[in-house]
Amino acid sequence: MSEETRGRALVGGALLAAIALVGIYLAAGGSSYTPAKPQDPCKHRAWRSPEGLQQIAEQFTLSALDGAACQLGVSRETLARALATPESRERFTERYGISDEELARAVRAGLLRAVDDAEEAGALNPLLAVPLRETLKSIPLDQAIELINNAESLLDNAQSFLGPAQGLLEQFLP
Amino acid sequence: MLVSFNLVMALAAVPAALLARRVGPGRAAAVGLAIFAGAGLACAVSEHLSTLIAARSVQALGGALAVTAVLELLPATVGSERRATAIWATAGATGAALGPAVGGLLTELVSWQSIFLIQVPIALAAAVPIFAVARHEAATGVLSTELRRTGRPHLLANLALAMVSAAIAGALFLLVLLLIEGWRMTPIGAAIVVSVMPLAAYVASRFDHLVSSAKARAAAGTILISGGLGGLALLPKAEVALTVPPQVMVGIGLALVLSALTETALAGRAPQAIHGGWTISARHAGVVIGLLALTPIFTHDIAEQRHDAIDAGTAVILDSRVPPLLKLDLAQRIESRLQGEKGKVPTIGPAFDPLPSDPEERDEVVLLREELQDQLNRGATHAFSPSFGLAALIGLLALIPIGLARRVDL
Repeated sequence: MSEETRGRALVGGALLAAIALVGIYLAAGGSSYTPAKPQDPCKHRAWRSPEGLQQIAEQFTLSALDGAACQLGVSRETLARALATPESRERFTERYGISDEELARAVRAGLLRAVDDAEEAGALNPLLAVPLRETLKSIPLDQAIELINNAESLLDNAQSFLGPAQGLLEQFLP
Repeated sequence: MLVSFNLVMALAAVPAALLARRVGPGRAAAVGLAIFAGAGLACAVSEHLSTLIAARSVQALGGALAVTAVLELLPATVGSERRATAIWATAGATGAALGPAVGGLLTELVSWQSIFLIQVPIALAAAVPIFAVARHEAATGVLSTELRRTGRPHLLANLALAMVSAAIAGALFLLVLLLIEGWRMTPIGAAIVVSVMPLAAYVASRFDHLVSSAKARAAAGTILISGGLGGLALLPKAEVALTVPPQVMVGIGLALVLSALTETALAGRAPQAIHGGWTISARHAGVVIGLLALTPIFTHDIAEQRHDAIDAGTAVILDSRVPPLLKLDLAQRIESRLQGEKGKVPTIGPAFDPLPSDPEERDEVVLLREELQDQLNRGATHAFSPSFGLAALIGLLALIPIGLARRVDL
């Protein structure tokens, strides 16, 4: 083999190897990665046919987070991490320049949206929704956050309150 | 620190070569090695970053003097100028590839200071035989006329060297960072992984005499480096095994191109030390340019990807079927991990400990952990893609000067 042929073979081999590697990696999905973008919290998210108190509470929490995040202009995921501890909440409000009052208003709005969603999904008795809304409109921030974190206790208490009341109403209403 | 060392090497290589010609290569090499050893010791005992950078810069001065002077001494030792050039170029290529692997091993096994301490006896041991040469040599005293007599450096070969070096800096520097910062490997683990590159470079250097055309070797080497970098830019998964083929390609390419271009830049030119100085200068300037061009890109991208991956991971948790209280507890623990890692891609596993005792919940949480870690790994891998891609492009651009050089062949 002449020197020139060997040189050409070397360059050709290198080119083939480079194209093969890039081609194989592309075919294996090397360029397909895009991070899963969190959904827009302002868009309505249908509830996943909840069964039982725990699942209702879960959907309630997610709806409340969506509502509050929408109000604040952040993702639901960011807000969920922000509400995890007082320290993370402080970091969050500092970073986004949000006052405690603004946060409280947003969280309350989120809880109200969760009540609306729960009612719409047939998971919350309309008789309970009205007083619940009234209560939530003026609830302090810490309690509101606690309700997001532990919606189960709120719904459990509400249902147990409603149980006898609903029985009475049903007796009197046509 | 990396930039300062390479910048000083780039600026000092040619003046150091001139100095070596004036005082004699033996003396210059011995003094250079002594400075290198002394500054290495100073690096090891440095307590502040500023003193470490200063000591490392002095070390670069000593290194520039020693490396260029040695090129003048080699022909007498190995028998011919051509063989000396080949050995000198191969040593440079292997050393460049070996650096991160050895550095990582020493950092993990001993300490970062040991990287510098180990250089001291090695440099002094190399200086001893050179001292014997130095005692018998006379100074040439040609500094004032040297530049005029040496002629111009081989512009195209040196330009190609600079571009290829920028790309190689990307390969080495970015890969180490991807493994440690992105995939959270230990320095020793990363060192073992990146040792594939010098190993491939060493094996390839054994066979590069089979093709004597320097132009063909330079072109093939550049294509292999760019192809390997392209592969690293397109890693389909965060798996170490997938970095091996690109590394092998970069290693082989590195051995081919550095030796071919260095030999070309030195062929038929004298004095060797000064033209060797130009190649050292070009290579280190390329490294500086590569680091300065690539660092801001990947720093920005990794911060963005980290944020996106965490959001995506939290979405996975919130949409999962684990109980709501556990979800929010997990979100809280992940937030704590994020704060603890201070901007790095976090190791998310510990945020899931202890696992729930209920077997069903535990299975769900384990699945979540894997999904979230996958999001993070893929995000980190992708964050390096634009930088690897740019490094590949810089490498490909080196084909222009290689193609333009009509007389590249030796």
